[in-house]
Amino acid sequence: MSSTVELRNITKSYGELQVVHGIDLEIEPGEFVVFVGPSGSGKSTLLRMVAGLEKITSGDLMIDGEKVNHVAPYERGIAMVFQSYALYPHMSVYKNLAFGLETARMSKDEIRRRVQEAAEILQIQQLLARKPRQLSGGQRQRVAIGRAIVREPKLFLFDEPLSNLDAELRVQMRVEISKLHKRLGNTTIYVTHDQVEAMTMADKIVVLNNGRIEQIGSPLDLYNAPSNRFVAGFIGSPKMNFLSVGQSSDGAKVGDVLMPWLVFETLPTTFGIRPEHLSIVAGTDSTSLGTAAVDLVESLGGQTVVYVTLPDGQPLTILLEGQPRISDRVEVFFDVEKAHYFDPAGRRTLPK
Amino acid sequence: MMNSATLSDATTRSRIVSIVVHVLLISASVVMIYPLLWMLSASFRPENEIFTSASLLPSSFSLDSYIEGWSDLPVSFGRFFSNSFLIAILCVGGNVVSCSLAAFAFSRLEFRGRRTLFALMLITLMLPYHVTLIPQYVLFRGLGWVDTFLPLVVPKFLAVDAFFIFLMVQFFRGIPKELDEAAMMDGCSPWRIYCRVIMPLSMPVLATASIFTFIWTWDDFLGPLIYLNDMEQYTAMLGLRTFVDSTGVSNFGGLFAMSVLSLVPIFGFFLLFQRLLIEGIATTGMKR
Amino acid sequence: MEIARNSDAIPLHRERARSKGPRWYSSPQAAGYIFLLPWGIGFLCLSLGPILWSLYLSFTDFDLLTAPEWIGTANYVRMFTADTKFMTSVKVTFVYVLFSVPLKLAFALVVAMVLNRGIRGLPLYRALFYLPSLLGASVAIAILWRQLFAGNGLVNQFLAQFGIQGPSWISNPNYSLWTLIILAVWQFGSPMIVFLAGLRQIPADVYEAAQIDGAGPWRQFARITVPLLTPVIFFNAVIQTIDAFKTFTPAFIISNGSGGPVNSLLFYTLYLYQEAFGYFRMGYASALAWVLLIIIALFTAFAFLTSRYWVHYDE
Repeated sequence: MSSTVELRNITKSYGELQVVHGIDLEIEPGEFVVFVGPSGSGKSTLLRMVAGLEKITSGDLMIDGEKVNHVAPYERGIAMVFQSYALYPHMSVYKNLAFGLETARMSKDEIRRRVQEAAEILQIQQLLARKPRQLSGGQRQRVAIGRAIVREPKLFLFDEPLSNLDAELRVQMRVEISKLHKRLGNTTIYVTHDQVEAMTMADKIVVLNNGRIEQIGSPLDLYNAPSNRFVAGFIGSPKMNFLSVGQSSDGAKVGDVLMPWLVFETLPTTFGIRPEHLSIVAGTDSTSLGTAAVDLVESLGGQTVVYVTLPDGQPLTILLEGQPRISDRVEVFFDVEKAHYFDPAGRRTLPK
Repeated sequence: MMNSATLSDATTRSRIVSIVVHVLLISASVVMIYPLLWMLSASFRPENEIFTSASLLPSSFSLDSYIEGWSDLPVSFGRFFSNSFLIAILCVGGNVVSCSLAAFAFSRLEFRGRRTLFALMLITLMLPYHVTLIPQYVLFRGLGWVDTFLPLVVPKFLAVDAFFIFLMVQFFRGIPKELDEAAMMDGCSPWRIYCRVIMPLSMPVLATASIFTFIWTWDDFLGPLIYLNDMEQYTAMLGLRTFVDSTGVSNFGGLFAMSVLSLVPIFGFFLLFQRLLIEGIATTGMKR
Repeated sequence: MEIARNSDAIPLHRERARSKGPRWYSSPQAAGYIFLLPWGIGFLCLSLGPILWSLYLSFTDFDLLTAPEWIGTANYVRMFTADTKFMTSVKVTFVYVLFSVPLKLAFALVVAMVLNRGIRGLPLYRALFYLPSLLGASVAIAILWRQLFAGNGLVNQFLAQFGIQGPSWISNPNYSLWTLIILAVWQFGSPMIVFLAGLRQIPADVYEAAQIDGAGPWRQFARITVPLLTPVIFFNAVIQTIDAFKTFTPAFIISNGSGGPVNSLLFYTLYLYQEAFGYFRMGYASALAWVLLIIIALFTAFAFLTSRYWVHYDE
């Protein structure tokens, strides 16, 4: 059983300060939605409003078609996994998992069944007698997730659950959470500042910035067609390259290179191209950006990152496969199909 | 199901609760502070009014009690206060120096037996003074220190107040060891690290220790009671006791006036340093 | 460094002594001992020494004028068989501790919990409740208290408003100890501050998780707040109990040194003082001191041993 969630013009203000501006969002049952954005973008605040831990200043929050603005968290059919896990330090893992169920006056047998089931799913059966302080970070995170699972909620909420884990563990847990979602299928809202987590886990990504939605879409939509410069620069690593577009008598220019086919209603000021869409070898559809001076080469083994400076002084980052030989100067090529253009306001525009 | 526990009901309920709580807290504060206010106002009243008038404000404001009380005893309270003050100041100096030295050793220096000695120090924290009272008296008597301030002051220079060693150790633990290490790279001896690195950074805990030492020494009754027999040397506490003893029912005004005066320094510290004092107490309870 | 040479060769050990190298007093090990020197002297001469000496004295008859005379366990025997005052003082002290400590802690905890909800004006209330704690040890306060509970004191004036004729509380053996218990409870501000700090240490998101788990305020208090506060409760209980055993000044001042009326205020410390400095029965007083030490030690040991069953430790 999964919930539909709908946010209608949700805002949040602390006194005079408005931190969330008019959020509209619909979440389908079983969807894994990721709220992603930099610190201070309002993503956690939004999540906490859905949870009922923060008051909604204005707007309506609908869960399964009912307005729940004033409904207590417990009554909303949600479960939450906190960034700091928020395990009850004085209770054993078993008791941590059972606490909510005991509060609901469930029978001991039912509680045991659910706890055992959750423990099995998360592979923590052997930890049930231990206390949180005896667990590692990853184990604690699993217990926190377990506590959410046993409630069999209609809506799962995750508040940056992997931030406190080291890099390797983060990758592992990311995979586990995704698998869990495949298995259980509950509607999930997941908050993170890490775009890799967003890209790999989400059915739908909501990019937030300064309390506003920048774009909503599937991971690939956001990657292939970012609707503004913020999203373009936020999604994808290494970051998209942004070059300024100038106007000359012969047509539009990017750097020193003429691009007469670039005809727009209003001239964009920014030309974007992802590092992975640049090459140092001419291909069938590629256009040259000129010869650049190589500043730094980072060899990662499977990939190589090359930092160059174009003749007009603008920097560029290139991501290449494998371990190619790089000389001091390279000619940079790009595929016109993969270029992005943004107008002076940062919005995406397309050439005629 | 969805509306059984609505948040708006909760808001109204919590507002009422909040008002009730404030009323209770204010009443409790008034009850707690009332005796002090009463004594304060009694000290400014003419003698005959002290036990007859119920209100807090005196009908006529009079400093008579203060003037009379000051010199009612054969030795003036001025003398008593200055004795208390002198002893307190010396004790503050002693505690700050000796306890910080010990705390520095326990928290920053490595030496064999450190753990054991630290444990011994902690045990003395829980020691009631009764067991050491008599032998110390016999010792000081043998040294001829009875009827002087020495038995009250010298022990402070020997870090007897383990509580402050403990307090300072907790504080020092919060100073990054890297500072010591950097100083050592610069060639500093432990003494120099103590003087130039740790002590300057420890102003808060030293202030807390000083204030508490002052207050506890100022309030010390048993010590002066045992060791000071000459009225010229009496501390304010002994002076008050003598006053109570001798005056019987006659001069309450004077008694209250001098009592109020004896509370002034403590109250002064309270006004100026409450944050510090409160934090000092809070930290001893927390870090284990 | 120039080493002066005579025609004779300088013996090797002298040469070594003059060469550069760390001296024993500048070695890191030694530094520790040097810094601890004041404490060390204090510990030996004012703590350890006296404790042992006092143990010895407890087996003697000693009046300060002549040398202590060994009398074996006579002091202890007298204490437990023939000394009614001893029994009274134990009873008085125990009643005081048994009532004042739990009451004091209860007030401290309740007020701390109320203040922790986020009251406007918290610093003011906290300061007002703490003030009595700070002033409370003073003779001045004991004097005030004596007057408050006297026949014509403030308490009776207040009761008169309701038509109640109150007795002289401090002169009545049935009530006198209670005036001191009230004085102790009046000073709940200090443990209250420790409780406040302890409450603050409980992370807010644990309460949020409980909220989401459906726990209401009462359940949160019982299943989360109290268990997580047990280390602080334990600490406060031990400290306050030991402090309560050490009470002297109020007992002395309010009873005017006598421990009366009818020994109702004969606190253990007061009795000890009377024996030692009133009658100069130093040997007996030392025995009294040791019995108190053992009582406190037993209590502390008991507290620590049972603590593992109810105190939640973090690490």
